[in-house]
Amino acid sequence: MKKILISTIAVSALFFTISCETDFDTDVSSIQVTNGEANFSKYVSLGNSLTSGFSNNALYIDGQNDSYPNIMAQQMKLAGGGAFVQPLMADNNGGLVLGGTVIQATKLYIKSFTNGAPDILNINATPTTNVATKITGSLNNMGIPGAKSFHLVTPGYGNIAGVSTGTANPYYVRFSSSATSRVLDDAIAQKPTFYSLWIGNNDVLSYATTGGMGTDQKGNTNPATYGPNDISDPAVVAGSIQTILETFKMSGATKGVIANIPSVTSIPYFTTVPYNPLTPAALGANLSVLNASLYTPLKQALTAFGAGNRINLLSSTSTNPVLIKDVSLTNLSAELTLALTPSLGAATAAAFGQIYGQARQSTGGDYILLPTKSVIGSTVSGAPASINVYGISYPLENQHVLTAAEAAKVKAAVDAYNASIKSLADSYGLAFVDANAKMNELNGLSGIQFDGVKYTAKFVTGGTFSLDGVHLTGRGYAIVANEFLKMINQKYKSTLPMVEVNRYQGVTFPK
Amino acid sequence: MKKIVLTTALLAGVLAHAGGFRVSLQGVKQLAMAHTSAHAEDASVTFFNPAGMSFIPSKLSVAAGGFGAKSIVTYQNSSTLQSYETNNPLGTPVYAAIAYKVLDNVSIGFNLSTPFGSTIEWPADWAGREIVQRLELKAFYFQPMISFKLAPWASVGGSYIYAKGSVNWDKAVTQPGATLNLTDDKASGSGFGVGFYFQPDEKWDISVAYRSPIDMEAKNGKVSFDISPALYPSLGLDAAGTDSFKATLPLVSEYTVGVTYKVTPKWLVSADFNYSGWDRYSQLTLDFANAPIGNQPNDPTVLVSPKNFKSTQTWRVGTQYKINDMIAARAGYYYDQSPYTDENFQAETPSFDSNIITAGLGFNLAKGFGVDVAGAIAFPKSREVKNSFNNFFGQAKAKAYYFGLGLSYNVF
Repeated sequence: MKKILISTIAVSALFFTISCETDFDTDVSSIQVTNGEANFSKYVSLGNSLTSGFSNNALYIDGQNDSYPNIMAQQMKLAGGGAFVQPLMADNNGGLVLGGTVIQATKLYIKSFTNGAPDILNINATPTTNVATKITGSLNNMGIPGAKSFHLVTPGYGNIAGVSTGTANPYYVRFSSSATSRVLDDAIAQKPTFYSLWIGNNDVLSYATTGGMGTDQKGNTNPATYGPNDISDPAVVAGSIQTILETFKMSGATKGVIANIPSVTSIPYFTTVPYNPLTPAALGANLSVLNASLYTPLKQALTAFGAGNRINLLSSTSTNPVLIKDVSLTNLSAELTLALTPSLGAATAAAFGQIYGQARQSTGGDYILLPTKSVIGSTVSGAPASINVYGISYPLENQHVLTAAEAAKVKAAVDAYNASIKSLADSYGLAFVDANAKMNELNGLSGIQFDGVKYTAKFVTGGTFSLDGVHLTGRGYAIVANEFLKMINQKYKSTLPMVEVNRYQGVTFPK
Repeated sequence: MKKIVLTTALLAGVLAHAGGFRVSLQGVKQLAMAHTSAHAEDASVTFFNPAGMSFIPSKLSVAAGGFGAKSIVTYQNSSTLQSYETNNPLGTPVYAAIAYKVLDNVSIGFNLSTPFGSTIEWPADWAGREIVQRLELKAFYFQPMISFKLAPWASVGGSYIYAKGSVNWDKAVTQPGATLNLTDDKASGSGFGVGFYFQPDEKWDISVAYRSPIDMEAKNGKVSFDISPALYPSLGLDAAGTDSFKATLPLVSEYTVGVTYKVTPKWLVSADFNYSGWDRYSQLTLDFANAPIGNQPNDPTVLVSPKNFKSTQTWRVGTQYKINDMIAARAGYYYDQSPYTDENFQAETPSFDSNIITAGLGFNLAKGFGVDVAGAIAFPKSREVKNSFNNFFGQAKAKAYYFGLGLSYNVF
């Protein structure tokens, strides 16, 4: 009996000891989220479309709710953060109306799939957000779709009269404090205790998305002279950002986070359509006809002028590059016309010379833009019937392709911007997010995985980029938000929790 | 005093089980003594060692029993501060056995048991939903067997095992906002068991047994997607949104050495050592007929998930004290290893290093007719989750309780 008693006691002792190891060291419900050295009571975010929550080529309520500043603000609320008010749109379709005219289209959606490819259309609805309807009161998210760095410090960017002339931004007009106000001043007026700034993408993006239609303004420090699709001078970008940081500092807002610019060519808008999409199967019987009647004579003529490498014959065994117009090439129109006149006659030769004077086949360094997908193979109106197929017999235009030379200008600008952003982050003692590195990671082969879900920068299937190929989905913004939160925690010793990326909106598929 | 001791034993009396998806619940009497094996009192020994039949003290013995197994697993992520808890249904493993001495030295028997199985049910929207929302695994073992008494103190036995199983697996496919279900209820496989049983004198029982591994082959599993029909063609699905798959789930081998020593005629002590060959479960391969949802560069319809299980050891000690001719009190303790490291934590078959305390009572109601109750409580150690294959991190802990009711009848 004694023995049994002793063993019972022994078992009870064991019971007690082992029960201690069964629990978590720290239960998450008992963890107190702390703000560290930062004060999140009034967080204001400044930036462009990415900051506003722009998605699927539009701004709409659901997208705004999934904006990375709003995602972050919800976490900040666990550590003394206050309300986060956004200039919410009137509906979930997106788009803008000004004076009865639709000036921004509704969001994109996948209507259906044809042979595995998505049919992407604008939602069939009339926008109900009127630019003239002013939003008043306290606002925390000052992300303005389309804003470039210098726009944030330009008076009158919110003047409704300037929308039609392009000097003002309709999204800022909705909440600008006056016709002459600056975004920066409106942000400061909120008396932020903490801010985020992610700006500079559009200083190079619109050049890239228009296939280099603008001018590289390197060396020109007067943004008033810039066209909408130009590349901003790095000094302008750095100067604008410095003005913003300095103004925040003078107002007492010394703590915040700043992100650099992702290399624009890592996004699906530039990476989805390959430079060589023409398969022998798709070309079919036309392949030999094209070689005989177009590619061969063209290559012969170009070779005579020392430019034979612009064109190679179409291959019947591997995929072929598209024909593009590269404005950086020497224009051989006159030479080609002259060379082709004996065989084609003066009129046709002149047309050929005109069309192929700066033509070449694309190479691996060129980026075929996402919308160009539907252009390739379409008919060019006004071109001679035998050579009127875009990309195959007729060169894609400048606006369809970001050529290698143009991409190099983009890269040089981004590199310069990022160098400035990093050094400004350091000199102002701000948390710094390397958004460029994160985007490159996403664009890598293995992408980014979260709780078993793999995300990449692939169009539609990657899950992080919305249907416009430029802006993120809620999940993409959540990945960004986590990166911001991580760097804020690191810099200010706060303990803001990460968010579950998979909970946010991804690409919506048809029901 | 006796009553107090018994009450304590009963309160502690809930039970626990073993690594991966092996469930150590094949004998109520045995469970009460830490699921030790060297007990040849009735037909329930057949699962543990076919050779044990030769030492059952009757010509015909039958035994049957059932268990209730309740477990709760909690996952938390200290990065997101989210926490989730399973809502597993009560598991109900059963067993039935018969042993008959056709000759003085030849026994035949049959054992039906459910040695592998698990149902895990997480909240549908939990963090790991891409891995599993609900997984039900079940395997029945049908074992005809024979045993020969080589000498009054030694026997050898062998069994053929036919295994039949089912799998039913729900998980989320987050990217397209869908879910999928993998199901197969016709998986089967076969194996064998062999064992030696010794009673060198009236004080000792020694059991040495081996059960072979079994490959459960699902040859015609069905995967059903709850997804936009617009995506059926690109996923290679038929008009109903389904495809077929093949998979093999290994059920592992087990080596057991067990000893029972009768300290006094009323009091016995048992100990067991098990070695389970979990290292066979290095990966799970799902081979879909058409759906390109795999991860193999050369064949996108093949999904390979690393499992990297390692073989485990279990140490068991149990004891029985006959309070009188009618009632026996039993208790036991064992330590059970999880078959994988934190880096290979599997949310669909969560497993923990566990201390388990068992207890039970046996009632000898009439000549040869016994009723046994047993219970056990498990103390799984909380652990880190560091599965980089799924990029799934956090911590996990569990609770588990088991109880069982068994009947045995030594007919004549």
